Amino acid sequence: MIERLVAAIRSRADGGDALWRQSEHTTVAFESGRLKSCGVTEETGCNLRVVRGGKVGVAGTTTADLDDLLSRALASAELGESVDIVFPRSDALPDVSTHAVAAADASLDRLTSIGAELVSRLTRPGCQISVSIEREIATTRVVGSGGADAGYDATGVAVSVDLARFAGDDVLFLSDQYQGTDLPTARDLDALVRTIDERYDRALTVVAPPEGALPVVFTPQGLAAILLPVRQALSGKVVLQGISPLGAKVGETVFDAAFSLTDDPLLPLRPASRPIDDEGTPSARLPLVERGVVRAFIYDLETAARARTRSTGHGTRGTFGKPVAEYSNVVVGGAVLETGSPALGGGLAADVRDGLVIDELIGVGQGNVIGGAFSHPVALAYRIERGEITGRVKDAAVAGNVYELLQRIAGFGTDGRWQGTRWSPSLLLEGVSVARR
Amino acid sequence: MKDRLADALKASRADFTEIRIERTWSSSVSFRGKRLESATASEDQGGFVRVADTGYGWGIAAFTSLDELPAMVRRARELSRAVRLDAPIRLAEVPPSQAEAILDLDGDVRGVPLAEKRRLLEGYNGEMLAVPGVVDTQATYRDEVTEYWFGNSEGTLLHELRPEITLSGQAIARRDGTIEKGLESIGLRKGWNSAPNHAAGFRTVAERAAALLDAPTVTGGTYPVVLDNELAGVFIHEAFGHLSEADFVYENAQARDMMTLGRRFGRAVLNVGDNGAARGLRGTLPFDDEGTPTQDTVLIKDGILVGRLHSRETAAALGERPTGNARAISFRHAPIVRMTNTYIANGQGSVQDLMKDIKLGVYACGAFGGQTLLENFSFTAAYGRMIRDGAPAELVKDVVLAGSLFQTLDRIERIAGDFQWNQMGGGCGKGGQFPLAVTEGSPHVRIEAALVGGDVPA
Repeated sequence: MIERLVAAIRSRADGGDALWRQSEHTTVAFESGRLKSCGVTEETGCNLRVVRGGKVGVAGTTTADLDDLLSRALASAELGESVDIVFPRSDALPDVSTHAVAAADASLDRLTSIGAELVSRLTRPGCQISVSIEREIATTRVVGSGGADAGYDATGVAVSVDLARFAGDDVLFLSDQYQGTDLPTARDLDALVRTIDERYDRALTVVAPPEGALPVVFTPQGLAAILLPVRQALSGKVVLQGISPLGAKVGETVFDAAFSLTDDPLLPLRPASRPIDDEGTPSARLPLVERGVVRAFIYDLETAARARTRSTGHGTRGTFGKPVAEYSNVVVGGAVLETGSPALGGGLAADVRDGLVIDELIGVGQGNVIGGAFSHPVALAYRIERGEITGRVKDAAVAGNVYELLQRIAGFGTDGRWQGTRWSPSLLLEGVSVARR
Repeated sequence: MKDRLADALKASRADFTEIRIERTWSSSVSFRGKRLESATASEDQGGFVRVADTGYGWGIAAFTSLDELPAMVRRARELSRAVRLDAPIRLAEVPPSQAEAILDLDGDVRGVPLAEKRRLLEGYNGEMLAVPGVVDTQATYRDEVTEYWFGNSEGTLLHELRPEITLSGQAIARRDGTIEKGLESIGLRKGWNSAPNHAAGFRTVAERAAALLDAPTVTGGTYPVVLDNELAGVFIHEAFGHLSEADFVYENAQARDMMTLGRRFGRAVLNVGDNGAARGLRGTLPFDDEGTPTQDTVLIKDGILVGRLHSRETAAALGERPTGNARAISFRHAPIVRMTNTYIANGQGSVQDLMKDIKLGVYACGAFGGQTLLENFSFTAAYGRMIRDGAPAELVKDVVLAGSLFQTLDRIERIAGDFQWNQMGGGCGKGGQFPLAVTEGSPHVRIEAALVGGDVPA
């Protein structure tokens, strides 16, 4: 199918590229502790980009009608802006494992048994437990008029657990997720259970929130709010628009010398790993921030062309719409280490006299993210008093500016772990504004 | 297609089978600043099969290759039989319907050249760019027509044609280190004829973004607050609507206690509902994705919780009637309990009446976003005005409302008689399904006391 598209690009356009992806997604869902449904989604899609007369057009389809796809892409190009996209050549590809046979071959019974085990280990009186197991098997192929023609098979597994507890008008929600290319190991499942157990036990006591400029431990989950502005600022597109606070800071020390951030699509058996991006650019490890110094931004082909630089291999595209630059696996703190202990706060609470552990905030992404200022009510937070976590805090809000807070990191936890596609330990940040509501 | 669907239903050996088939033509145009980002047309098609054998759970198959329909019906049954249940799935009764519901396409967007859509959006984008102080814009046009077939083994067979059109704009104004934004968003279950004549809205939000550069941040504190139609609509959808979705309570005794019918949720002035059958709105459809006719469902009457939103499954579990709220964003997903057009019903008087005895308060307008975690919510208004001596006064920014849902609903003390639907784009997200077309509506609403202000003291 894709061969016909390549021929069509050659005969009717000046250049272009196409992504073809076929996937099978299986879901096993336990609701309120009971196996409830099994589902499968089979999808085949094709995204085509063409260049004609220097102008770029894009179209997508889930039907098999390639002539229609091509004429829609050409119509799109007629309106398109001129961009001098350089399509990648046929290069040697890096070696990265993206496919786990055990995951691909796992039977429905096998997937169900993982869920059943988790349900039985997490069940407790007065709580509703939901668990879902998802497994995806996908084949990707990317071809382009520059010569690139590559493909790869990938598997992905996600195991999600949710606990809900209602006591009068007090609601407690806890959740955690395993994500990997392969099925979870016994250790991975233990970590899920321990994470929920500890957060649950410590949440049963509700204590009053502190107030003032205080040290706060952001867990790997809670760090999302802190890292969001930095992720946006390191996107080549945002830099190109002239609104990134880091746009003119390459080579400058902006963060604590212990703070590094790396995008690494070559880590073995991680769901965001791949030998090429969705535009055919070979994958490479990219240090974004090294020991506090801003080093690089991520680019896809189009933003790279506009910024007169080269793609960093971050082109990401679905069946519909045009490619955009997206991160792959993001590693906080230099390197992926052995998964740490799931203990809440990663051992950082011991050094805190009065403060908080933040596991989840409400409203992350609302407001003016790019400037780095944030202000959020807590969804799940715990109080630290004299080095001990003493209970759950409700009705508190935290605020600060991530560029100020990340200039001085008071500690890295021993709880490094994957949170989706991000690897990080807990971070201890000082001078976070904490208010009672 | 109808025959293929009927044949597949007939061939199914499962006790209950439902099939949805969708074919969607869409196009979109977007600008960033003066530059066209993209202009593209897409075609998407696929099917969804859900079956349950007695004593077994749901087996689900979704697929893009329609030739596979008969095989997928068999596959779904195999998946169902992998789920043994002690308590069988029960579905509340819905009389079978056979209907051809071809909505008015209002100027079929499929016949309009992409270049014309681009010209229209370029004009709206230009309105924003022309405003002094505006340094960057984003503008998006999107349309679609979906042809839809639904059938189940109980005899329901539906064929629908649905149009949709959305327009959105974001203007960024900047001076030195200060950045402010304005958002315009329009979503209609209509066609090309409804796309023109929105220039004024785009200009207004850009002018507001520029005006906010000079506006002070609201002083944090507890105030009497008047919500405008838009923010009140977003509030009732986010903070209360999701709790009224019965899948949240049907298997959870504690949550059911919290949402017991008959519980007082507000004062007698408060009336709330969800109306999937309201005329001509984006959340309106004749049937939901289980083939249940949509309806106007009253949720809060005179301050008392009297109803909730149901799928056939949640209705059967709670011994209540299905309300036509089982919806899916596409053939890739199973229907789950969702809102349609959610509203606070009309009260009396004007917005001036709500303000006239407020010495110092906040008039919170528009919505940049909102999130609730059950009883806790946080909403960011697009802008605000202080209320001084009974009238709106100076413009203020960074108006964030946070608080407890139960407390805040109970503090709604007056509701004006100026009801209006907010025909917004975007959509609602739940369970990995986003964006679902919904609408919200409300009159101006006055809250006796609410916590305002994002900034907390250092």
